[in-house]
Amino acid sequence: MQSCWFGDVEAGQCTPFTGDSAAYARRVREIRTSMDPFVPPDWQQAVACGVCRDRAEYLALLQKVCIAGSEQAVREQYAAKDVELLQMVRTLDEMDTVTNVLSERVADWYQIRHPSFSRKYRRTPAHVLVKSISERNRERGGGGGALGKVAAEITSLADARTALAKEVSARACDVMPNTSALIGGLVAARLLSHAGGLKELSRLPASAIQVLGARTALFAHIRTHAPSPKHGIIFQHRRVHNAPREVRGKVARVLAGKLAIAARLDYYRGCAVPVFLDDAQARIDRAGTVEGEGDKQQ
Amino acid sequence: MICVGDVLVSKGEGGVYGERMLDGYRVWDPYRSKLAALYLVGTGIELPPYMKVLYLGAANGTTVSHVADYVEVVYAVEFAPRPMQDLLEVARRRKNVMPILSDASCPEQYAPLVETVDLLYQDVAQPDQAAIALKNCVFLKDGGYLILMLKTRSVDIRKEPAEVFRDTLDILMSAGLTVTESTWLAPYHQDHAAIICTK
Repeated sequence: MQSCWFGDVEAGQCTPFTGDSAAYARRVREIRTSMDPFVPPDWQQAVACGVCRDRAEYLALLQKVCIAGSEQAVREQYAAKDVELLQMVRTLDEMDTVTNVLSERVADWYQIRHPSFSRKYRRTPAHVLVKSISERNRERGGGGGALGKVAAEITSLADARTALAKEVSARACDVMPNTSALIGGLVAARLLSHAGGLKELSRLPASAIQVLGARTALFAHIRTHAPSPKHGIIFQHRRVHNAPREVRGKVARVLAGKLAIAARLDYYRGCAVPVFLDDAQARIDRAGTVEGEGDKQQ
Repeated sequence: MICVGDVLVSKGEGGVYGERMLDGYRVWDPYRSKLAALYLVGTGIELPPYMKVLYLGAANGTTVSHVADYVEVVYAVEFAPRPMQDLLEVARRRKNVMPILSDASCPEQYAPLVETVDLLYQDVAQPDQAAIALKNCVFLKDGGYLILMLKTRSVDIRKEPAEVFRDTLDILMSAGLTVTESTWLAPYHQDHAAIICTK
């Protein structure tokens, strides 16, 4: 028996399929066509089948089915929980870049306006300076000109960024509970963004997760035999960057190992697994203490 | 093919992607479309109005919309949902575009939809481009054409493009296809080649 979108053909006998275009589209997905031997569907058969009267009608109906099927497939792919998180975290990181670049520019501009001003010895990072410019602008009732306005915009962009960061973190805890529990929502979301999705992240080996986001260093290592990177994005987690230098690589390795398991739990199980988490936290903490390496040190 | 002066055009409703119009025809930009580039650097094949086309790697429907202006029906296969959104918009305004969200390397997914075609056009960024083309030849009628837009950098970034080109020609010929034309698409597209075969 050969099945195609408009019906089933068996020994010259054709059974037409009836339903709306969405039903046809569902049917197309369920058909398992064997490709050997394969005979493509024929519109004349559809006419004989009584699905349509002529070629024009065949094409019109088929297009409805194709559009309905593709629309449904797009909707399903976008409904996956991690797709929006991906965009959110990428927006967040780009907002960081933009506010930093703009802040530095505004600080430079401010120095031209005030020739005697210097940031030396003041410990004034650009974003603090921008904040004070925008506040002064508000006090004067917006009389600070373009500089004041731009500074105010940067400040409000920074506020939006803070709100977004909270949302990313909360969403990450929902989408990837195990990974977020180990490394925090924000960093977990960044891992997701670099991998390209939860499915992709769950299929990465631990060694790849460990250096995710350290691409330049990794390829420099492969090409020129420079020292290999110890950590990528996971460095942002306090357990790694607060660890003593000599065990940092070890912590990163253990953490990445547990993250690989956590990502798989998130993708295939989708809920937090307390037994695994307790065990993993303890193991990572153990790796972080220099005493854990006691034997080697002595 | 329709030309106004020496500008390649197609006849249809404009405004698909902001293309220029010339005497009521849509200008077909060789820098944006590899098929248009092929007609300028090589010969290509005629697209008569009765033609049925299976188009793999339809992307945003830019080239698809021009091909649809010429032929009877285009089965447009695209894998990624984002460009599919654009392709759907093109399909809603053109009666003869059939959008299919599927993986071109799994023809069985869209086998129930696609009839026998006169032209198989492929423009996918995959390492096994020749294998994908051969798999999809089941839809191609005997004597039909295959146009393979070979993205050599997608096959293997470390290999010389010329080497990839030669290897691909070998694969196609050893599968029993007759290569009628093969050309690079420079200066319009770097490291891209067009191969035309008949089954």
